[in-house]
Amino acid sequence: MSGDVILDVREMMVSFSARRAGRKYRVQAVDGVSLSLAQGEVLGIVGESGCGKTTVGRTIVGLVQPGSGTIKFKGTEMIGAGSSSLRAMRLNVRMVFQDPNASLNPRRTIGDSVAEAGDISGFFKSRAERSAAIAATLTGVGLNPSFATRYPYELSGGQRQRVGIARAILPTPSIVIADEPVSALDVSVQAQVLNLMMDLRDQLRLSMLFISHDLGVIGQISSRVAVMYMGRVVEQAGTRTVLEHPLHPYTRALVAAIPKPDPSKRILGAIETGEPPSLFTRPHGCAYAPRCPIASDRCLVDVPTLRSVGTDGRTIACHNV
Amino acid sequence: MLSVRDLTVSVGPETAPVDIVAGVSFDLAKGEILGLVGESGCGKSMTSLAVMGLLPQPGPRVRAGRVLLEGSDVTQLQPWQRVEAGHGRMAMIFQEPMTSLNPVRRIGDQIAEAVRVHEGISGAAALSRARELLELVRMPDPGMQLSAYPHQLSGGQRQRVMIAIALACRPQVLVADEPTTALDVTIQVQILGLLRELCNRLDMAVLFITHDMGVIAQLADRVSVMYAGRIVETAAVDALFGEPRHHYTRGLMDCMPSRNSGVRRLPTISGQPPVPGTVAAGCVFALRCAAVHDECRVAAPPRLEASQGHEVLCAFPLAGGELP
Ligand SMILES: Nc1ncnc2c1ncn2[C@@H]1O[C@H](COP(=O)(O)OP(=O)(O)O)[C@@H](O)[C@H]1O
Ligand SMILES: Nc1ncnc2c1ncn2[C@@H]1O[C@H](COP(=O)(O)OP(=O)(O)O)[C@@H](O)[C@H]1O
Ligand code: SF4
Ligand SMILES: [Mg+2]
Ligand SMILES: [Mg+2]
Repeated sequence: MSGDVILDVREMMVSFSARRAGRKYRVQAVDGVSLSLAQGEVLGIVGESGCGKTTVGRTIVGLVQPGSGTIKFKGTEMIGAGSSSLRAMRLNVRMVFQDPNASLNPRRTIGDSVAEAGDISGFFKSRAERSAAIAATLTGVGLNPSFATRYPYELSGGQRQRVGIARAILPTPSIVIADEPVSALDVSVQAQVLNLMMDLRDQLRLSMLFISHDLGVIGQISSRVAVMYMGRVVEQAGTRTVLEHPLHPYTRALVAAIPKPDPSKRILGAIETGEPPSLFTRPHGCAYAPRCPIASDRCLVDVPTLRSVGTDGRTIACHNV
Repeated sequence: MLSVRDLTVSVGPETAPVDIVAGVSFDLAKGEILGLVGESGCGKSMTSLAVMGLLPQPGPRVRAGRVLLEGSDVTQLQPWQRVEAGHGRMAMIFQEPMTSLNPVRRIGDQIAEAVRVHEGISGAAALSRARELLELVRMPDPGMQLSAYPHQLSGGQRQRVMIAIALACRPQVLVADEPTTALDVTIQVQILGLLRELCNRLDMAVLFITHDMGVIAQLADRVSVMYAGRIVETAAVDALFGEPRHHYTRGLMDCMPSRNSGVRRLPTISGQPPVPGTVAAGCVFALRCAAVHDECRVAAPPRLEASQGHEVLCAFPLAGGELP
């Protein structure tokens, strides 16, 4: 990892209260996650649904309050920071959501939605500058500037997600946190939007946290990937390393279960992936132990912590690899 | 087992119908899984509902074509009318089990209810058959799970329950509309494996619908690729992936991230699928096709047989053997 770390998250803990069968529980959605992001880098976060990916992203942008931990943006602590540093961070760390329908206000024009963050922060010096910025941003995401006066219902899913990206990059942020940004899109449109995000990453030197349940998509866009299981990072390494030589038993299952588009490489019936966990019944030792093919006695008692393995900065939380 | 001929499903007024499924034909044999693949809105669900006799009322209707189950025309019959008329049995599973399960009834009772309807047995006998069905779908701890409520199950387990309910009628044809789309890949692989196993064991015909070419490659014996209400290519799964002949099929494969590891930019298909009823003449894919000829914009493309069992709806299909 290079020296210019732009975002540094240490030991993030987030819990929610939840009700089940009439009883109240606390659910530990994020259980001590540490991540860092260098300038211009794309870090992927992958894992099954419910493992805490979205909560990590929402906590970083301040939509969820962490129970403990630190979140440093360019060296400044954001948790409990004063309103002026928070405002600066809100413009600098922006989020793209999975569902472009839910994240766009149906009664606002596309232009107003795209300019929202700039309007709130007093970024635009004149109406003309504002219109020019909207037009340039729409063009930048591959939309005709005339879309500015249209409404979300007039757009296709792919176009709406482009608007979702446009509103995240005006004014130009340092970091984009993209939460499953292409998961709701068809493959042909998904490829278009992924290409756009890679172009923006390069042109604007954006750093990105790219959250997805799809390792294929992560492999395309991110240079490093963190694999999450039950609120923890269990493996982190270069994306190619993870895809080609996954080491943690959970990562191995995730990679093996990708449906390869090649009928000569069939896997059905050949791999064991176990039952997904419930956050209501967290195992004592390694959270993955109930599904793990190589679990030993120690795994049932001791929680494995991340340690370095090999060279390229790979870390793994497992007693047996 | 199942033959679909020129199935056309339309919406809008009788005088100006808009075809959302336009002349779809396919055959499905016993013990075979036919994958129907295409992007959202291309008419996969409407095709499957029309085949089942379950199109929502009012709304889309079968304007032309026939659905033949073991040779009998069942086009205008709903599933139970088909059974009453002695035509054979079809069952369907969907993407979201929660919309079909009753949240306040134990799953054992819900499966037993389906058993009662189809086999005329009730009480302990039906419940014991329900348990058998849960075993058949490889539900972990089936005895315990009989008394569970849907919300106590994981998404994958709920889909197993839906499959158990579908199997209660001992179907000859199972129609599965994106049953794994909402599941994690780790659970998807289990459900796909289960469907393959059931298809083989029960000699069932399966029509499997998905938007995911990866899932198709893993599961299907034969594949029909759908675009804008039409089947544009049909082939055995190896032939389809080895030698796609339609430009759309090829485009779909090319833009998958998992077929492009290490590539800087993903190939794309420009534009997006047409809104139904907006392509007046020529090929429905002409607007997005990289190999389009003038002729494609005016004349409907022919259905060519590229090789035995490999059909393509295109005037200028790809030559075989193009993929690495
Ligand atoms: N606002 C909330 N209230 C209660 N529970 C929540 C809330 N947000 C998330 N959770 C729970 O936290 C866990 C992690 O959720 P999430 O971060 O959305 O996971 P992912 O994005 O990986 O699917 C889940 O069990 C989820 O139900
Ligand atoms: N009730 C309806 N009335 C009119 N059009 C419909 C209706 N339901 C679906 N459609 C249209 O029919 C087309 C095919 O839909 P569908 O079969 O659901 O596609 P798929 O399952 O392939 O995503 C879509 O363009 C959709 O907008
Ligand atoms: S720590 Fe033990 S149970 Fe956990 S993943 Fe490693 S081997 Fe498996
Ligand atoms: Mg999420
Ligand atoms: Mg559908």
